[in-house]
Amino acid sequence: MLQILVVCGAGLGSSFACQMSVESVLQDIGVKASVDHSDISSAAGTRADIIISGKNFESQFRRYDLSMDLIFLDRLVDKKEIEEKLVPVLKSKGAL
Amino acid sequence: MTETYFTKDNVQFNVEVNDWKDAIYKSVALLRKNGFVTDDYATEVINNVKKYGPYIVIYPGIAIPHTRPENGALKVGVSLVTLKTPVYFKDTSSPVKIMISFSATDNEQHLEIIKMIVKIVENGLIDKISTMTSLADLNNLIGDGIS
Repeated sequence: MLQILVVCGAGLGSSFACQMSVESVLQDIGVKASVDHSDISSAAGTRADIIISGKNFESQFRRYDLSMDLIFLDRLVDKKEIEEKLVPVLKSKGAL
Repeated sequence: MTETYFTKDNVQFNVEVNDWKDAIYKSVALLRKNGFVTDDYATEVINNVKKYGPYIVIYPGIAIPHTRPENGALKVGVSLVTLKTPVYFKDTSSPVKIMISFSATDNEQHLEIIKMIVKIVENGLIDKISTMTSLADLNNLIGDGIS
């Protein structure tokens, strides 16, 4: 199954909230995926297919040569923004 | 959690703050007063925000100060502060009006608090909460927001 990891600074609040919004969007668009959350320091070793995080983390992620798709959000719990940015990635992966 | 989230001990309306750091200190002070966190927790939140950027601002108007359990969380707890004058965090385009601080002791037990916060945002309740001055009104609204 497609794996999505949501990342924030502490890995238990903002990312957890974002995970709920992501799960809600996935349900709306009818895509099944496994969603989890973590803090940025443990995100580097992840095998997730897609990483979703806040705009403020973009420069830190860009430093690594990560093979998965990266999505950066202005608003972590904005379902509209999540859908707009997630749908093209899901389509490119053939999940939608 | 079946009791109301918010009581006279963990809510303050129209709090005056100097800047985003002061807002974090005053919001986390209510967690400390209730024995949910140690004295260091607020400073740890501030250091994390300095290090990673304003990840606690999850939507325009709301910040949710929190950090890792090992940074001073003693129990799962929550507090709510509305700001008399909204404050800007670095790199955010709109100011924060309400602060919901929480502490977590593991990765799961605070799930209900996060759910409540997400509902507040998704149901568009930030502005309404920011103008409130009564605990009863707040709990009525959050009750409505959750159900």
